[in-house]
Amino acid sequence: MTTMWKGPSRVPEPEDPPGPDLSVDLAPGNPRELRLTNPVIAASGCFGYGLEYAGVIDVQTLGAFVSKGITRRPRSGNPMPRIAETPAGMLNAIGLQNPGIAGLIRKYPRIWETWRVPAIVNISAESVEEYAEMAAILDEQPGIAGIEVNVSCPNVARGGYCFGWDPGMSAEVTAAVRAATTLPLLVKLSPGAVDIVSVALAVEEAGADAVSLINTLVGMAIDTRRRRPVLANATGGLSGPAIKPVALRMVYQVAGSVRIPVVGMGGISSTEDALEFLMAGASAIEIGTAIFVQPSLPLEVIAGLEVWMRAQGVENLGEVVGAAHPAGIPLRRSHAQVAS
Amino acid sequence: MSGVQGALVHHGRSREIEGDVVALEPAMGDSTLLTVRVPSAVAAEIRPGRFFDILCRPDGSSDPLLRRPYSVFASDPARAELQFLVRPYGRGSAWLARRRRGDVLDLLGPLGNAYTLDPGARHLLMVAGGVGVAPLVLLAREAVASGRNVVFLLGAADASGLLAAGHLPSAVEYVVATDDGSKGHRGFVTDLVPDYVRWADQVFACGPEPMYRSLRNGLLPLRIGNRPRVQVSMEREMACGLGACLGCVVETKRGMRTSCVEGPVFDMDDVRW
Repeated sequence: MTTMWKGPSRVPEPEDPPGPDLSVDLAPGNPRELRLTNPVIAASGCFGYGLEYAGVIDVQTLGAFVSKGITRRPRSGNPMPRIAETPAGMLNAIGLQNPGIAGLIRKYPRIWETWRVPAIVNISAESVEEYAEMAAILDEQPGIAGIEVNVSCPNVARGGYCFGWDPGMSAEVTAAVRAATTLPLLVKLSPGAVDIVSVALAVEEAGADAVSLINTLVGMAIDTRRRRPVLANATGGLSGPAIKPVALRMVYQVAGSVRIPVVGMGGISSTEDALEFLMAGASAIEIGTAIFVQPSLPLEVIAGLEVWMRAQGVENLGEVVGAAHPAGIPLRRSHAQVAS
Repeated sequence: MSGVQGALVHHGRSREIEGDVVALEPAMGDSTLLTVRVPSAVAAEIRPGRFFDILCRPDGSSDPLLRRPYSVFASDPARAELQFLVRPYGRGSAWLARRRRGDVLDLLGPLGNAYTLDPGARHLLMVAGGVGVAPLVLLAREAVASGRNVVFLLGAADASGLLAAGHLPSAVEYVVATDDGSKGHRGFVTDLVPDYVRWADQVFACGPEPMYRSLRNGLLPLRIGNRPRVQVSMEREMACGLGACLGCVVETKRGMRTSCVEGPVFDMDDVRW
């Protein structure tokens, strides 16, 4: 069955030439660095806090994982139903159910500290000050390799407008978080922005170490029998293979403009999909919804990338990043050999 | 299909397994009883109420995207076989019901908790609606094997939707209700419950949520304190099956609890209805 991974196609022999270099630094401009052994990251909201999958796959093999989005205070989330399947995709309106930053700190950093895999904490907030406050709290914690700032959560609207739709507001959040922590900082961009490239450039200018994109697209489904929205929240975030072409286009556009590393995501479900995002200019990729379907997929993609690199004679993944741009992309220092 | 039949795929601790379809037989109206061969160690982990998330689509397709949860209807560790009851009411279940002998399924599991039998409980009342019969058949078999007395109530739309009595141990008292009265009591299965409440030490239910509401309303005036204890299996749309996505939560008196890991079985008195 092709959907299931049966391990690397062959075990490397001692006389094999050194393996290809899949490593990546997502914060090359930051002394604290965010160095990953490979570019495959489990996406926020799809991997819990890492422990949920620790008994199912070898979590330590991942490039990194991003925690479920946390907020300043605990949240019990939206009413049910919270998820709805759509063609080749799914809608979710979980509503940021989480134990709050204090609850997270009580339980996870001391576990993550003992892990080899970098843990990135995803944060959401309802004001610039709250973002900064959370970043300052995380700055002092062990076991946290970086922060992913969610400026684009489509479900928790306060005042009706999302930070991530506006370059100025996104930059304001980024600058405040940057001032509050020296931790590597990824800003996760919203596909709902009028011009996502402007937002990316604004957060780069404001001090982001990297940008990750895309968050989910706002969508809905209607139950015609009940004549009501399927989700209790009416709208939700669309994810899965259905959004991949849109995500790829946005990664291609952003990677063509910014100089910081780009982390691409949106419907990635195979090694081939991951390669598309890398060629579009992503230095690393996140896998989200596909993990729900196949928990081992990220490991399959890591092995698949290595097999592909050997077959293609690619020694460093940096050779592939942005390859689809006819005129190339701005130089970035996410991969060692590209920087030299 | 390459590799060892029914072997654990990749890591030993992974719960993604392959299962070979070894038999399909019609059961309960338009439903199919699917027999799948899995590693015997997996079959040995089965408890009544636990489930598998089954991938219900062809290789290479992204649609339907999500796995579908199926409670185990029967488990035979000696033959390394599991049975699932599949009613084709959606795209995923319809695909699953069309499988053929020799096909290979991709299963994630076993997942979730299980019904728990109180050590001192002698008289067990089971209340099933439609395909909700699956985990209770497994529970009834275990209960009878441990010398307990079981009354098994099943409701369906009509006589054709009822489970053949042969699937239950002969020691079980099997009582049915149909909406149209074509067999047994005419009306809801929960109408039958009051007759057995005083007799039952424990009640186990599996069916749609309206059935639970009706069960609860019928029990309220008849229970003495919280006796008999009632356990229900909560059906929810699910994505990950591992407690990560929080898409399948049940609101309990202890807060939001995932149906996939902390359920699907909940104490009726713990759920906020």
